[in-house]
Amino acid sequence: CDKGFEEENTNPDASTDVEPEYMFTKSVYDALNNSTGTVYEFSAGGFVQHFATYLEVPGLGDKYVYTSGTYPYAYFSGAYVNAVNEIEKVVLALEEDESKTNMHAIASIWKVYVYHRITDLYGMIPYSEAATAYTQSNYSPAYDTQEAIYTNMLETLQSAANAFDSSKASFGSGDLIYGGDTGKWKKFAYSLMLRLAMRMTKVDATAAQTWAQTAISGGVIENISDEAILPYVGGQEINSNPISFQLRNNNYSQSNGGSSNTEGGKFSATFISHLKENNDPRLTSVAAVWVNGVQDTTTSIQQGMPNGLVNKPADFGSLSEPNLNTLLSLTASLTVVGSAEMNLLLAENAARGWISAEPATYYEKAITNAMSNIGNLYGNAAAISSDKIQDYIDSHPLPSSFEAQMETIHTEFWVSVFPDEIEVYSNWRRTGYPELTPVSVTGNLTNGTIPRRLTYPPSEISVNTESYEEAIGIQGTDTFVTRIWWDVE
Amino acid sequence: QHSKVSLHVSQKSVRQVLEQIERKTDYQFVYKLDDVDLNRKISLKVSNELISKVLDVIFKGSETEYAILDKQVFLVRKKHQSMSVPTVPGHKTSQPLQLQITGVIVDDQGIPLPAVNIIEKGTDNGTSSDFDGNYTISVSDGAVLLFSAMGFKPQEIAVSGQTTIDVKLLPNTEQLGEVVVTALGIKKEKRALTYAVTEVGGDQFTQAKETNLANALSGRIAGVNVSSLATGAGGSSRVVIRGNTSLSGDNQPLYVINGMPMDNTTMGGSASTSGGGFNIDHGDGTGGINPDDIESISVLKGATAAALYGSRASNGAIIITTKKGALQTGLGIEVNSSFTLDSPMDFTDWQYVYGQGNGGQKPSNQSEAVTWGRRNWGALIDGSTYIAFDGKEHPYTAKKNNIKNFYNTGTTFTNTVAVSGGGETTSYRFSASDTDNKGLVPNNSFNRRIFSLNFNSRIGEKLTLEGMVQFNKSKAYNKSSAGDATGNPNWVNMLANTVDARWLDPGYDENGTEIEWNETPYASNPYFVANKFKNNEVRDRFIGQFALNYQITEDLSVKGSVSKDYTNFNFTAILPTGTLYTNNAAGEYHGFDLIVSETNSMLNINYNKDISEDINLGAMVGGNIRKYKNEQTSFDGTQFIIPFFYSFTNLVTSTTIPTNKHLTTNSIFASFDLSYKNFLYFNATAREDWFSTLTASDGSNSNNSIFYPSLGAGFIFSEVIKLPEWFRYGKLRGSWAQVGGGLPDPYTLNESYTMVPSSGEPLQQVTQVSGQRLLANSNLRPYTSTTYEFGIEAKMFDNRFGFDIAYYNKTTTDDIVNAQLPVTTGYEYTYFNVGKVENKGVEITLDGAPVRSDSFSWDVNYNLAYNDSKVLQLAEGLSTISVASSVGGWAEIHHEVGEPFGVIKGYTMLRDDDGNIVYDTSSGFPVKSELKKIGNSVAPLSMGLNNHFKYKNFSLDVLIDGKFGNDVFSVLNVYATRFGLSKRTLEGREEGLTLTGVDESGNPYTNYIPSTDIRSYYQNMKNYSDHFIYDGSFVKLRQVVLSYNIPVEKLKLFKLQSASISFIARNLALLYSKTDNFDPESSYTNGNAQGFESFALPRTRSYGLNLKLKF
Repeated sequence: CDKGFEEENTNPDASTDVEPEYMFTKSVYDALNNSTGTVYEFSAGGFVQHFATYLEVPGLGDKYVYTSGTYPYAYFSGAYVNAVNEIEKVVLALEEDESKTNMHAIASIWKVYVYHRITDLYGMIPYSEAATAYTQSNYSPAYDTQEAIYTNMLETLQSAANAFDSSKASFGSGDLIYGGDTGKWKKFAYSLMLRLAMRMTKVDATAAQTWAQTAISGGVIENISDEAILPYVGGQEINSNPISFQLRNNNYSQSNGGSSNTEGGKFSATFISHLKENNDPRLTSVAAVWVNGVQDTTTSIQQGMPNGLVNKPADFGSLSEPNLNTLLSLTASLTVVGSAEMNLLLAENAARGWISAEPATYYEKAITNAMSNIGNLYGNAAAISSDKIQDYIDSHPLPSSFEAQMETIHTEFWVSVFPDEIEVYSNWRRTGYPELTPVSVTGNLTNGTIPRRLTYPPSEISVNTESYEEAIGIQGTDTFVTRIWWDVE
Repeated sequence: QHSKVSLHVSQKSVRQVLEQIERKTDYQFVYKLDDVDLNRKISLKVSNELISKVLDVIFKGSETEYAILDKQVFLVRKKHQSMSVPTVPGHKTSQPLQLQITGVIVDDQGIPLPAVNIIEKGTDNGTSSDFDGNYTISVSDGAVLLFSAMGFKPQEIAVSGQTTIDVKLLPNTEQLGEVVVTALGIKKEKRALTYAVTEVGGDQFTQAKETNLANALSGRIAGVNVSSLATGAGGSSRVVIRGNTSLSGDNQPLYVINGMPMDNTTMGGSASTSGGGFNIDHGDGTGGINPDDIESISVLKGATAAALYGSRASNGAIIITTKKGALQTGLGIEVNSSFTLDSPMDFTDWQYVYGQGNGGQKPSNQSEAVTWGRRNWGALIDGSTYIAFDGKEHPYTAKKNNIKNFYNTGTTFTNTVAVSGGGETTSYRFSASDTDNKGLVPNNSFNRRIFSLNFNSRIGEKLTLEGMVQFNKSKAYNKSSAGDATGNPNWVNMLANTVDARWLDPGYDENGTEIEWNETPYASNPYFVANKFKNNEVRDRFIGQFALNYQITEDLSVKGSVSKDYTNFNFTAILPTGTLYTNNAAGEYHGFDLIVSETNSMLNINYNKDISEDINLGAMVGGNIRKYKNEQTSFDGTQFIIPFFYSFTNLVTSTTIPTNKHLTTNSIFASFDLSYKNFLYFNATAREDWFSTLTASDGSNSNNSIFYPSLGAGFIFSEVIKLPEWFRYGKLRGSWAQVGGGLPDPYTLNESYTMVPSSGEPLQQVTQVSGQRLLANSNLRPYTSTTYEFGIEAKMFDNRFGFDIAYYNKTTTDDIVNAQLPVTTGYEYTYFNVGKVENKGVEITLDGAPVRSDSFSWDVNYNLAYNDSKVLQLAEGLSTISVASSVGGWAEIHHEVGEPFGVIKGYTMLRDDDGNIVYDTSSGFPVKSELKKIGNSVAPLSMGLNNHFKYKNFSLDVLIDGKFGNDVFSVLNVYATRFGLSKRTLEGREEGLTLTGVDESGNPYTNYIPSTDIRSYYQNMKNYSDHFIYDGSFVKLRQVVLSYNIPVEKLKLFKLQSASISFIARNLALLYSKTDNFDPESSYTNGNAQGFESFALPRTRSYGLNLKLKF
């Protein structure tokens, strides 16, 4: 009486097997295309005062209030059900096949990229037991300490870098970043290792130094040609620059014309003033003011909106916002790991004496690469001439004392790594630069301090209760002010 | 079925013989006890003889004669000449006969009634009607005629000089020999049932109509819990019988029309609890049934009653029998028209002390007025002027009529015309109906047309064919969204209290762009939504049923049936150009085409035999194949390229996604009935279902079938035990059954992977179900629901009082639970075979006729049901699962071990052991507790009180119903508190608030909130969900119908046979409630997650007129 039922119960619109290349591509998109509105603009991007909004609901980043919505946890939820689950399946599908070690290594590196962004925002997260529900029937993944996660991520990067074998096949065009180039993936692995190593400077300087030196000797992304860039072809939403897509959706559009931005957003006054005061040519590459229905990039009229406002300012319509044709182009490319960041971290290594080199060399190279690549990323309208780059470098020399060097390097980081707000926020928490003045509005949840982390989703509290409670027992209460492992005072 | 009969009796009473004939055939005997000598002993041996021949033999030489009409055999005393002789000693012999009266007697369907006794009141003068219902009687002028017949309510008519008196007798529903329709369309005498079945006549639904038939069941039947959804005409229904059986499965009963299952899919799925934009209730299958076509609705409450339906009966079954054609007197045309006005009920009771504004200030310019559009933290409302969001100066006065001013008074116009007729071999009934509704929200309308044809035909001696064809087309325009603020016109409730809703009209500027009235475009302009948003639903539905019955021998018959219920549904939602919250204010397009079809093919063999004189055996075996498909193609896109041109071809981004769900359930079943004499009944059924949905596509799971047995017994003790004269009838019954079910959704046992539409490289992801990540579980097996029930029923005092009391216990084990997963598993939910739920309860039905006189009668029915549900088990280590969450996540619906089905969970202010509020020193506000239970979403206690009064040609029906013991979480009140509309926000407006308690370390803590900052305090209140939970108990005056039967015999117009006009009203008044600012029945989804109020349509109070004509 159940003849034909196996066929009857097979989904006619789905396949029964994972196609690693196609799912890997999805995972790469998903890692970048995760809650870009809520994280880039409304939480991390506000914490580091790149963005501002006068509204309350999206005001977590701007004024440390939380009224409703998914702002504190959208990234967490989005990461696990998309990029994490996908990359875990890809890694699993490639694990057994000897002929696919290159692809397995690339996927393993990407897995580290996916996880490190989650743990940097939340601290303890499920890592070793995450996304094992289908394979191991684990429905309540335990949380790993961030220290354990970092240790494992660094080791994973090391073994992946060692596993590459140029005689074997690799991903093809499905690898949107490097087209399967194992040499570049190796640089990517060491670059990520350097990023993670430097993150540990406050909590474990010795380990930080060891891993940084391993990474640097392995070879990190120092030149634009090696940069991990994710291009977008536009068309479908998934093929469009996710920051552009979301920010256009939430705030910045031709029809809003700068005056009726849906979520009340603008560039922060802190960011625009900094660029203006420093004659940073990147100001006109990314920012614009609406004048007669057109975005005007004239430097003199650029002005940001102060963070912490609770009412719409009278001059809202004439404040700077992202340029729809450059930064917010739907086909703008995103930097996954860039040479500017690496050179800045190398400059810090040199300043710390962990490598024997002149920090200014790396510092200047970081600026040069960041500025000269901006036209490649955002189109010709954003391009910066080499004269302007040289002028900027000449007028912003690296100072001599270590602390001043740190401030200059990481203030430059704050500008150069924009708009990767997750990375900028992590770097700010680690280094404290640039020095930002927190706002204080009634009802803020942090006693007027800039948050140190985001909070977990309610679903973890209600249906992964034991693991959640174990985690906060170790890490501290699930609030915006609790510091995560590498972010010691 | 049986026009011929075989009998073999020796020296049995006429009563026993008649009972045997009734059991063996479809014929029923109708007679007055005085007219037939039931104790006369006879012997008889006939084989496959026509019933009329058999009756000739039985009554030969007796004082009884018979007439057969349809399936009824009327037995009457033979007319003697003496009966019409008026000169009976002791009576008014001096009065000469002055009048010869003639007339026709018909039933409520217009069918002529033979064998009706007609007696001149106070005399022995009498006669009875002939086969065609005609009678002639000679009486004195001023006489009163008394018409009576078995099974009908007696009627008295004063002669008053008339010579023609046509009479319509109404059926007496209180009679004992009641026949009800049970599983698979099998008719059984009610006395033979071993479980609870309640039948409601179609006339209960035809006057004050609900556009969704199922909603009309509210308050009618003990244990049948109807949630009246606040989603307007064309919306769906939620009916739950005896509590929710399954934690995640569909808990609504199976609907059956004329013996074959009907599809009750909610098109496009139930509305979500927190969605926005176009979170619309698309309606379900019961919304496509014309109330005027209903002969009766029979509710099989328990699994025992419905076990023959297998997996789909775990929630009971609702058996709809439609009207059939029959031989007619007159033209056979019926017309039923009604018109109602539907006015919005306003439950809001806001504070009107402080007006729009912030920090004690009213807006001083347009920008402030927009930013503070929803804020009522302004100055004292003093009648001064202020600048509103439109930039104009307006009086700063309380605007209390925004609900009335924004919503229209809706209208509903319903017309049905039915034609029926028939002859010796074939009868038919055709009906056409049109329902036209204008809704509350401007530009909302709904139209439904239903054409239905019923026929049955006798093809030769042994073969009968019956069938039904129904075609149904409905269109709905601009149904209202509910839940979140986006695109929801009901957010008009959140206008500041000094803003007049009409200032927002028409909601758009000269460019067609939505006009902002508050700080966030996500709270849409209600007029913009009403005037510019578009959503269209078009539904074409076709139901066809055919059944052939072949009588192989006198005891054995075989029946083959096939039915198909096919719906083609098309939905388009346009978020127009100029919608501020959409990307680039360029709008969005959402739509889907959906085909839902359910096909059942059934074959059954029936056997019925008298094993001995006292024992009758009935047996049936059969099989059914059910095929269900749900094929949807979704069309979604954003940003219309050419503004105001709303085509799927005109979008910047667009996706087309097909979803095809197919499933098959194969079944075999058997039933066995045994009766002993006329007081002991035994019944057993068995069924096995095989589910395609529980068959792993890779062959790894074969737990795809389940066996369902049921047993029942009934004992009519009043036939055996000597009871007082007034105790007419008493019965005890008990039964036990197991049913169960599979998954509603196919393809959930094995993980699969789907390609994602990409304009670049190919992309693959884990297959999502409705945008959610479902974890496949290949270990699933069917769940089991075990029910036992006991009941006692009795009738007494000349049938003027009766009761039915039932106790049941229903336990579901291995329930397939749709459990939310932590996202860290990589998935959002899965199905586990782990649930255990228990429902036990008592149902009491009392019937009475306190007054029953010739001109005035009062019938009353009271029903009460209490259901105690308890979740006994979830997955190992899992104590709670989340089913749904409100807007903002402020409250959730959970199933929690040890608690009733569907508890509402939320947060409270944290308190220390001494009860002090613990404050968070960072924010200065109370610390939010962990998530905990704050209420129950399902009402355990429900009741209904039906009253029927009749005075001469007037009748009055009054239905009051109520539910008790549930809670509702009100999103409206969250926002009303946040925005300062709620009266509770008056505290601290002048002098501020001093909060005292302890800090996180337990030290005394005080925080002073100045009046200028009072908003931050109330804004923060949303974190403490228990402040917005309300007792959902209510009592409503649900329905009032006042009818006048127009005495058409005096009109003689257009062959009019009967006419009545009625005042009709639904939802007249909320008699008891404990909610603030909203109707306790404010549900906006028919899914399992009940218990939230969230900006649905206002409840409507409907009243109007109904006219029924029969030609």
